[in-house]
Amino acid sequence: MPQLLITLITIAAVVGAIPGVCNYLILLERKLSAWMQDRVGPNRVGPMGLFQPLADGLKLLLKEEVIPSHVDRILFLIAPGISVFTALLAFAVVPFGPVGDTAAPSFIRFIIAPNIDIGLVFIFAVGSLAVYGIVLGGWASNNKYSALGALRASAQVVSYEIPLGMSVLGIALLSGTLNLEQIMQQQVAGGIMAWNIWFQPLAALMFFTASLAEANRLPFDLAECEQELVGGWHTEYSALKWALFFLGEYTHMITISFLTSILFLGGWHFPGIAEADSAYAGAWLVKLLVLVSKAFFFICVIIMLRWTIPRFRFDQLMELAWRVMIPLSLANLLMVMFCAHFGVSRWWLLPGSLMLFAAWGMISASLREAERRAKPGYVRRKATAAHGHAGHGHGAGHASGHSAAH
Amino acid sequence: MNSWMQQHPATVLGLVLWAIGLLWLMPGRKSGASRTPRTGVLIAVAGLLSFFAGCGKSNSDLASEVMFWVFATGALGGGVLMISSRNPVYGALWFAIATLCTCGLFMLQSAPFLAAATIIVYAGAVIVTFLFVIMLAQQSGAAGYDQRSQQVWPASLGAFVFLGSMAMVLQSDPPRYERVEIVAAETPAEQPGTMVALDPTKPVIAPQPPAIPNFLSRADSKAPVGSMKGLGRSLFGDYLFAVELAGTLLLVASIGAIAIAPRREEGAL
Repeated sequence: MPQLLITLITIAAVVGAIPGVCNYLILLERKLSAWMQDRVGPNRVGPMGLFQPLADGLKLLLKEEVIPSHVDRILFLIAPGISVFTALLAFAVVPFGPVGDTAAPSFIRFIIAPNIDIGLVFIFAVGSLAVYGIVLGGWASNNKYSALGALRASAQVVSYEIPLGMSVLGIALLSGTLNLEQIMQQQVAGGIMAWNIWFQPLAALMFFTASLAEANRLPFDLAECEQELVGGWHTEYSALKWALFFLGEYTHMITISFLTSILFLGGWHFPGIAEADSAYAGAWLVKLLVLVSKAFFFICVIIMLRWTIPRFRFDQLMELAWRVMIPLSLANLLMVMFCAHFGVSRWWLLPGSLMLFAAWGMISASLREAERRAKPGYVRRKATAAHGHAGHGHGAGHASGHSAAH
Repeated sequence: MNSWMQQHPATVLGLVLWAIGLLWLMPGRKSGASRTPRTGVLIAVAGLLSFFAGCGKSNSDLASEVMFWVFATGALGGGVLMISSRNPVYGALWFAIATLCTCGLFMLQSAPFLAAATIIVYAGAVIVTFLFVIMLAQQSGAAGYDQRSQQVWPASLGAFVFLGSMAMVLQSDPPRYERVEIVAAETPAEQPGTMVALDPTKPVIAPQPPAIPNFLSRADSKAPVGSMKGLGRSLFGDYLFAVELAGTLLLVASIGAIAIAPRREEGAL
């Protein structure tokens, strides 16, 4: 089959599937939220509310499009488009199934643009453009709340790009490539003990956290922040333009989930049912389903995080990026470099990562304590209350302020 | 220089027209009523066409030709609109467009990493920071001094001289620079300067470049180019000292930035 035709079919499949999937992810989000809050959730349209997404989509299509008179019309209209465009473009280099499996039907390839040498860098490049949708939407709305949301978004995304990129550099060093298909292939060939999560658990955590921040999902949705900013950058948007912003956000979520599964959890590999040499009939379908289930798992985690962790305060958000994640990812990268250069077994990276995590927790807790001690009017707390928040260095003790270290 | 002007009148005329058009387009003291932008656009476009006519024909295939024209037009147009728009936010956005189109040109030259890195650094971080500052600084609309161009004449003249000298070097006869073309290893180069689509299965080897009398860098012609591996090996092998020097400079600059930033006690945010 000609490559061009295969590419077109793959593009059509992806672009056709993503809006539908996003629609049902919204239903999933509503159902999971309802479950976590002991409610029923949407259950009126169709059996168990299964047709609710269709009703919602129709409503958004048919709703009146309100364009306020005080907006900058061109940018106001372009912004949602940029959001969706960048989110979909980033998906072009993400393999979403067993790429190169000869048993799979030849008309689909499971990746839109294969053999991209710079795969990961491409995703970061396109992902860094996604913020334009939010910034322009917020600015064009000509509204205080929108502008504040846009300001927050730009600061947040620029900050979190650094730990996001640095956390996967370790993987690039370990596998010697930035090509996502090859990273996946190496893990598949090595079996479950070659999954990158064993060597880079800390990087996996940081990558997942930083990409949540990039996607503006809770607990990082400071740009939206309903309690303070009405709707943040999309306050003035309605109907389909509003929906496009959320199509972009949910597509971003799907990309994150696929990326985390591919980079750290072995892609489509699963011991027993989807190995490198499994060749039973329909194996390609099982492999595809394994990868999709891994991604689905992460999507569920993202949705459940929303009702688990409260939203950060803005200074906490910045502190998490600059004082926790960037030093940690640098240290992690140094560790990988040490292993790669001196030929130390990469299994040392597992205890190394855990020790790094614990050490950084202790360092930031003691820094916090030192800051508090340096402030006038310091009252020594009881020893039992002192280790409530050893983890990330942001927590209850934080409210007493921070000045010395800035 | 005289002989170059005589040999390439179209190029010189194009540059002059381009400079006049830009002078016309740049927002002046008055709010645009005296000058119509259409005339400026016409002059600038005529200058561009004349300049391109002076450049001669390229011999690449149709697809890359079309892509080149799209990206080149986008980059130039974005650049002009960036300096000629009155609204700083639009100026920043046109800057982003110009950067993205330049990255497209990098892609055409088989430098995908350079393109992606430029997008991350410029479009993704620098211009977002510009927008951030513009939005913070101009909440009640742009100030008058921000709506017009400063030092129009020196800027246009400088750009004119710079472009002219570049065109002179590039069009000089005999050539003053070595044309290093990138070709796939198996296929011999048929025409100098053609761009060959990179086949990922074949190793790509640059032909022997002229020896560079620079003790800081030693080019290795055997390394594959156009791939991440080749780029990394070249940067951290052949040009290690230059990279380390640049890194040290950046480190010093960032330490300096932290040192001069106001402290919280001094009334920063």
